Amino acid sequence: MLDLKLHAIAQSSRREILWLVREKELTSGEIAGHFDVTRPAVSQHLKVLVQAGLIELRRQGTRRLYRARPNGLEEVRAFLESFWEDRLGQLKQAAEADYGRDVDERSR
Amino acid sequence: MSAVADPDVVEKEIRIAAPPEVVFPYLIETEKMILWMGMQAELDPRPGGVYWVNVNGRDKASGKYLEVVPPRRVRFTWGWEGESSPLPPGVTTVEITLQPDGEGTLLRLRHTGLPKEVQASHAEGWVHYLARLADAGVGRDPGPDSYAM
Repeated sequence: MLDLKLHAIAQSSRREILWLVREKELTSGEIAGHFDVTRPAVSQHLKVLVQAGLIELRRQGTRRLYRARPNGLEEVRAFLESFWEDRLGQLKQAAEADYGRDVDERSR
Repeated sequence: MSAVADPDVVEKEIRIAAPPEVVFPYLIETEKMILWMGMQAELDPRPGGVYWVNVNGRDKASGKYLEVVPPRRVRFTWGWEGESSPLPPGVTTVEITLQPDGEGTLLRLRHTGLPKEVQASHAEGWVHYLARLADAGVGRDPGPDSYAM
């Protein structure tokens, strides 16, 4: 599954499609309207994205609606939370050591 | 209206026992940036200027400064370099504000614009980065990047 996902997002048009459907459902026609490539080419991209589990397809009558699959959100947040917390902890340490030296010099 | 946490934002707050004038250079000077963010940095702290930090020898944080207001605020775009990056440069924005707090500083960080694309589609990518970046900033080499092959 990971290989499929990596393959799917390695192509810039497909990343663009993911971006388009990240928050709202769009029909294949609406998606195709954002690109210069042919409708079949867009359909092919959509197929790859669906197979990779990155977007999902819903049929409504004759319309085919696509949107990004809502998962992974918490992992992203958890990652950035811990990344910035660690970094800021180091910043605090460095700046306080720095300031400590300043104060020492001034009080001498 | 009830306040609902914005899922696209990560916020952090920390108190530092040093005034904003002492903390601010750590956001714009290369020698000081590497003391908390990585191993190597290239910074041009003015709107449109380069923000680039080699975090651990392989993963590079890259963006552009948008706003530089000494000693109170910086804003820059932020992302990871690389074709398989789960968060490409230019997509998200980090704002750091320094507010005087007694003799110290209250630092607030807001990381905004986390796109649903990343959130929805790169879970494995994030796990990969998480594992690699656990060592970030302390100069430890996380080993060969299996994604880079």
